[in-house]
Amino acid sequence: MLKLLKEVFRQGDATVKYPFAPYEVEKDFRGRPEHVAENCIACAACTSACPANALSMETDLAAGTRTWSISYGRCIFCARCEEVCPTQAIRLTTDFELAVANKADLTSQAVFKLADCVCCGEPFAPAKEIAYVTALIEANSGTNGASTGAEKSSEAERRRRLLSTCPACKRANDLQQIAQIAHRQEKNR
Amino acid sequence: MKMDTPADIQRMKTSLLTNIRRSAYVYRVDCGGCNGCEIEIFSTITPVFDTERFGIKVVASPRHADILLFTGAVTRAMRMPALRAYEAAPDPKIVVSYGACGCTGGIFHDLYCVWGGTDQIVPVDVYIPGCPPTPPATIYGFAVALGLLEQKLTAKTHIEGEGERVGMAYPELPYNLRVHVEREARRMAGYRQGRDIADRFLGMLTIPGELPLNQRIAALISKEPDPRIAEIFLRLGDTLRGGELSA
Ligand code: SF4
Ligand code: SF4
Ligand code: SF4
Repeated sequence: MLKLLKEVFRQGDATVKYPFAPYEVEKDFRGRPEHVAENCIACAACTSACPANALSMETDLAAGTRTWSISYGRCIFCARCEEVCPTQAIRLTTDFELAVANKADLTSQAVFKLADCVCCGEPFAPAKEIAYVTALIEANSGTNGASTGAEKSSEAERRRRLLSTCPACKRANDLQQIAQIAHRQEKNR
Repeated sequence: MKMDTPADIQRMKTSLLTNIRRSAYVYRVDCGGCNGCEIEIFSTITPVFDTERFGIKVVASPRHADILLFTGAVTRAMRMPALRAYEAAPDPKIVVSYGACGCTGGIFHDLYCVWGGTDQIVPVDVYIPGCPPTPPATIYGFAVALGLLEQKLTAKTHIEGEGERVGMAYPELPYNLRVHVEREARRMAGYRQGRDIADRFLGMLTIPGELPLNQRIAALISKEPDPRIAEIFLRLGDTLRGGELSA
């Protein structure tokens, strides 16, 4: 009996103090995904990876915006969004205190602007995404055969224009170019 | 006297919350979840989390319940039983929607036989998200339901600022090298730890100075207590020296 009591006192109290004291979780605990909208390029990789459709993107062409939103009520804390995000804008935190009385508080949103196509002027892709891709390609492209500074800058300008063109206009431009080439070949024959 | 207008119920609920001088009895209604939530509820009443120290007790009949805990995404088959349990519980009752499934339907939200959340069939007072919510999250949810703790989460909307742009990570390093290190680190340690390890490795590469790679890696490893991470640093160094990188 004494031995048992001694053992009980040695073991102490197993019950956690939470909620009167903070509860320590493992540092890689998968809690609430934290989205840093400043780092997000609205590429929608996370929204297509999310198995529960907790993340969604909505495009409003009239307002020229694209809205990223997360519903913490639907999230299953799988961290696939974190895995795919190219700019590390989303990361799971150790925050587990998510209970709410008002369902609307489970949603968090970020509104991004769409860039207009340089040809037709219609909004087509998030401006931040285009800027990021342009910067990435510019930092990685060699001279592409261009040697003089003027050639280089015209090449960069052409590339920037191409990236700011919407897919429909790209197709139309391609068709025009093909038509021109065919026309020239016709003449040369 | 009949007392079941919404205003009456609201008043009774408020008085239940402010003057509860006894245990809060919980009845658990499974509306077609995967049972993960049930397991977490039962781990919440184990000695480690011990909700009975607050008087929160799981009971076997909705007729004894103050709090109804709805788990699961509300399948077609479980809708009527869930409604019957709701009707059987005496007013005033607090309805808690438990788990991602209970809040919105969770990962099952778009199934053909699913109603998509407790709030589609009964009025809900508190939502506890999680898949499943951990025992501390459950305790927190009950504390919010009983008005002991404040809710922390609020709806947020970020509007893109003027000229808000995202820069490239590690612009001072060649792009191929950064991608290669990130890929290798993720391959060896998984995406979470891999990313942290790659960040530390790349941070070490960007420290200005003429120090050769060997010494930089040695300095990094000497500060690393975990031999597994040290090994990964070494191997990352090897892949860089391998010359397979045309950066
Ligand atoms: S953690 Fe998983 S479920 Fe949650 S938002 Fe990310 S991808 Fe979606
Ligand atoms: S993957 Fe990252 S950058 Fe892309 S939309 Fe999601 S959070 Fe934003
Ligand atoms: S929330 Fe997750 S753990 Fe709970 S019942 Fe639904 S799928 Fe299962």
